[in-house]
Amino acid sequence: MSFDLKGTLKPLTALKQFGQKPHTLTNVPFIPREAADRYRGLHYNNLDECIGCGNCSTICQNQAIDMIPVDGIEGKNGDSGLRPRVDHGRCCWCGLCVDVCPTGSLSLTKDYVYVSEDANSFLWTPGVDNPEGDERVSFFSTKETSLNDLGRIPMPELEGMERIKSFAEVVLGYNEEQARAEASRCISCGLCTEACPEHMHIPEYINAIAGGNDEDAVRIIYDNNPLPEMCGKVCTRRCEDICAIAHRGDPIAIRWLKRYATETVENADLLKEIINPEIKEPNGFKVGIIGAGPSGLTAAYYLALKGFDCTIYEANSKAGGMTMYGIPRYRFPEDSLDKQIEYIQKIGVRIHFNTKVGKDISFGEIYHNYDAVFMGVGFPKPWTLGIEGEELHGSIQAVNFLYEINNGKKVDIGNKVIVIGGGNVAIDAARVSARLGADVTILYRRRVQDMPADWEEIEGAEAEGIHIISQAIPIQFHGDEKGHITTVEYLKAEMVPDEHGGRPKPIAIEGSNTVIEVTAVLGAIGQQGDYSFLEEEFDEKVKIERGRIVVNEKQETTLNKLFAGGDSANRIADAISAIADGYRAVKGIEELLMKGK
Amino acid sequence: MREKATTLYIGPQHPGITGNMMVRLKVEGDTIVKAATEVGYLHRSFEKLIEKRNWLQSFTLLCRFCVPEPDPVEESYARAVEMIEGREVPERAKYIRVLVLELARIGSYLLWYGGQSGSLGLYTVGQWSVGDRNYILDLFEALTGARVYHMYIWPGGVRRDFPKGFEKKVIDTMDYLEKRLDDYDDLMFDNAIFKKRTKGVGIIDKEKAVEWGVVGPPLRGCGIRSDIRIDDPYEIYDKLDFIVPVEEGGDIWTRALVRRQEIRQSIRIIRQVIDNIPGGEYYNKVPNPQKWALPKGDAYARTEAVRGEVGMYLSSDGSINPRRAHFKGAAYVHAITLLEHLLVGENLADVAAIMNSLGTCPPEIER
Amino acid sequence: MMMEEIKTTIIDRIKLHFSDAVEKEFSYNRLDFSVKKETVPSILFYLKEEMGFKHLSHISCVDWLEEGEFEMIFILWSPEEKIKVFIHTRVDRSNPVMDNIDMIWRQANTYEREMKEMYGIQFTGLEAPEEFLLEDWNGPPPMRRDFDTEAYAAKTYWERPGREDALDVRETVEKRTGEVLPEFAKKYKR
Repeated sequence: MSFDLKGTLKPLTALKQFGQKPHTLTNVPFIPREAADRYRGLHYNNLDECIGCGNCSTICQNQAIDMIPVDGIEGKNGDSGLRPRVDHGRCCWCGLCVDVCPTGSLSLTKDYVYVSEDANSFLWTPGVDNPEGDERVSFFSTKETSLNDLGRIPMPELEGMERIKSFAEVVLGYNEEQARAEASRCISCGLCTEACPEHMHIPEYINAIAGGNDEDAVRIIYDNNPLPEMCGKVCTRRCEDICAIAHRGDPIAIRWLKRYATETVENADLLKEIINPEIKEPNGFKVGIIGAGPSGLTAAYYLALKGFDCTIYEANSKAGGMTMYGIPRYRFPEDSLDKQIEYIQKIGVRIHFNTKVGKDISFGEIYHNYDAVFMGVGFPKPWTLGIEGEELHGSIQAVNFLYEINNGKKVDIGNKVIVIGGGNVAIDAARVSARLGADVTILYRRRVQDMPADWEEIEGAEAEGIHIISQAIPIQFHGDEKGHITTVEYLKAEMVPDEHGGRPKPIAIEGSNTVIEVTAVLGAIGQQGDYSFLEEEFDEKVKIERGRIVVNEKQETTLNKLFAGGDSANRIADAISAIADGYRAVKGIEELLMKGK
Repeated sequence: MREKATTLYIGPQHPGITGNMMVRLKVEGDTIVKAATEVGYLHRSFEKLIEKRNWLQSFTLLCRFCVPEPDPVEESYARAVEMIEGREVPERAKYIRVLVLELARIGSYLLWYGGQSGSLGLYTVGQWSVGDRNYILDLFEALTGARVYHMYIWPGGVRRDFPKGFEKKVIDTMDYLEKRLDDYDDLMFDNAIFKKRTKGVGIIDKEKAVEWGVVGPPLRGCGIRSDIRIDDPYEIYDKLDFIVPVEEGGDIWTRALVRRQEIRQSIRIIRQVIDNIPGGEYYNKVPNPQKWALPKGDAYARTEAVRGEVGMYLSSDGSINPRRAHFKGAAYVHAITLLEHLLVGENLADVAAIMNSLGTCPPEIER
Repeated sequence: MMMEEIKTTIIDRIKLHFSDAVEKEFSYNRLDFSVKKETVPSILFYLKEEMGFKHLSHISCVDWLEEGEFEMIFILWSPEEKIKVFIHTRVDRSNPVMDNIDMIWRQANTYEREMKEMYGIQFTGLEAPEEFLLEDWNGPPPMRRDFDTEAYAAKTYWERPGREDALDVRETVEKRTGEVLPEFAKKYKR
């Protein structure tokens, strides 16, 4: 082969590189190069933002993340109190933990050098062991990049203006596909169970729904809540307030999923078949229950399962208490509880309807005839405003108004209605009035965002054309010569910060008097208890404080073998905490009666 | 006189071998009479692990199937998942994917420069190219947050959008590289030693190449125009203007020539991507990874990598975990069937050069 | 539609020669056939020699434990027609024997070695070294679904100490609230 001159000389052109600036690093001693702005280096965790949901630990395919208690961080509602610790010997820097973090507290930093002879020192708690990482954050997740499913599957509803034509139920319920999709958004952290007064097994039944096992979901729900259809429709759902996903997106529709699960069961027989409850042999004890509201029904159901003979006395013709008679039909149709009540009766609970204690039967009789008595009597009496003109014709209490309407009666409210208050009762009354054809305005002392009513209800009301006048304090109702209300006079208020750190207070502005014409006013500023049925011999023994019956942690009152629950015994006063009271009372009654057995 | 045959082992620790693999050679003098590939030094059971993970978690393992060029594996997996689910990928994501794949191709070829020249004792060009590869890795670092294990292409699109000023950085790097490629030519392709050591060595028979399933540059080095990007186009390759270089001969030299030209084509593709990339979404978000179930079905997605066909067969039973994820790499053919055949009759000193020219990647065999 | 025509031709020709072939069409350039395992070598040979499917892309195996079968998938590519054909077949899990096809495509030998080692499928007439990826392995074929990697790892390796203090988030909250999770609900924990 001939000599390749070109091939021999060409490589020598490499010599031209002499004198060129080297490409390699020349800084000695070695200083690590600054990483890119998106570098996936060592972890950092913002401990205040972190809620300890453990989603990072679940996604980590290397099992590098442990959840551990950290000094100075206490668990509370919405925060497990645990924080992630990363085994940097196992971590592969994929950053999935960052992308699934629902709060965005976990991130990766630009730091990538960590040298130690001690292999155990590679276990770190980000944020605790590297507080300086805050400054070095490089790989983080935003709402846009988050792997959490932030958007809720919209609930099919009637259109706003379509709704006020009738009392048809507004919410139509998820179909199977929607329910599966919504349930699949859940990350199963279980923080919600702490917010639920009844501590329902939320992640488990949601997982069952997501996996297509609706019957198991129903079984799990019934484990500690015999009225899921009630909760599925009107629960105040504290669980959703602290949902991990709610930190960046819409909370999981826990309430609607519960509703979906219960609606898959068509009738009481099927319900009994699916739940297949274990009913203990009768133990010979009789328990009397006053009021077939959420707390009474819950107590009766679980007592009956445990072999107690339960009898409920209910003043109205239907069970459900305030949910049945206080909540309008478009939210809670009349037949909502039929299946559940029938099921509860099927397992042996007797309910005497139309039997008002204190009138049809005396409290004493019940108390003496039963081994234990549970009282879930609610808050039937409304508070009055205590202002001039309240006795005028056309000034109605919203609770009474809702009761009458729910009983199918007619109430004359005319065409221009003012509702006073900002709670769920006020919104309900307003929306019912709109359905009766009135032009409705809500007067509320504070700001809209301060309203204790459910935000969905407030939005619903606004969609139905209801006006809300906030920071308005009514001072007087004026009437005509026939004693019929004609106008409401109110003062505008300004919000003054509370010096004790409480929520801002509305203070009336002098001279800002405004007058609106009305045909009726519905007062909805709260209710109170009515204990007139307690005869003298018990009246003193049952301790009542600020309108509420005093109970211990087992729902036991100061009177022997008398238990109480629901609105008349707890401050939260909603259906789910009433259910929780009933559930706790079961344990109390069981302990009391089965002592020594 | 017939010399006595000796058994020699190359690997698993040998700089000429591109990973943890061993070739058992029977040599007579320095002529190879028999070769057998032995693997088993790197088995990590990724495919079994993937069956235990959910659809998204699995993707962090994929880049480890082949370290020098991990992105085609991510791409194949992502596309197979998308095929089963019928998930749409935003147009911008497709462009970004192509950019990443082509950058990976360049990065991998630069590494190959090092291996191919190093196996023949020409170390300078290898040092240059591996050094220049760092500029590609810098781009990856800026885009994906990691230099080697990018974990960037995932089902539904890509993980993050371009960082600020990224387009300019890419173009600057391409400009620089294009100049550098001429320097490489001086040292490698114009080098008498290189020419002498590669021409006529490790010849693959054209007929056998097709039949045995040879893919990628080794096949194109036999004069057969075959490239998945053109034949079975994915993402946006059918909208791009590039050619697939082909050389006749089937030896190390022609395979090297093919690769040399492909880098320039990749740069050309990258420039087109940067010029034409549309705005909009870069990711069609998958549902909550913990509960993301794919419908029942299977799919096979394949991607053209520097090693040839990189495929992923996925089978779903409708649950949140893959039923089966079976990776296909070119090395099954190149490093076993082909290599065992090709080495016979070759000189012992050429083994490393032949292996490098085939682009074998032992981690692909073992997974 | 060009591709549709090609597919129809392929289907017609295959059905004519192989009465047990059941086709399944997919969008674009994919076409599936399910056949009895005895037909596999002949259909593969026919596709390769008569219909231009020169390139064997992949051979894979899926363990359908619940159905007692292995599914074998052969993926072929036609460089001329630019179309993929998948051949599916089912093999009895209790007697997993397949015909060896490495005389049709030499590289199938490697895939068969893998299937043999990982799934325990016997290929009649396969000539290859005993061991492939595994060394001194006495256990069951590890890619079978009933081989529990977690149990194997727990038996073979040990946990590095120092991480025993890890807590479960759900259980921590349960303990704090006094919630009692019934036994039947536990399988739905994350």
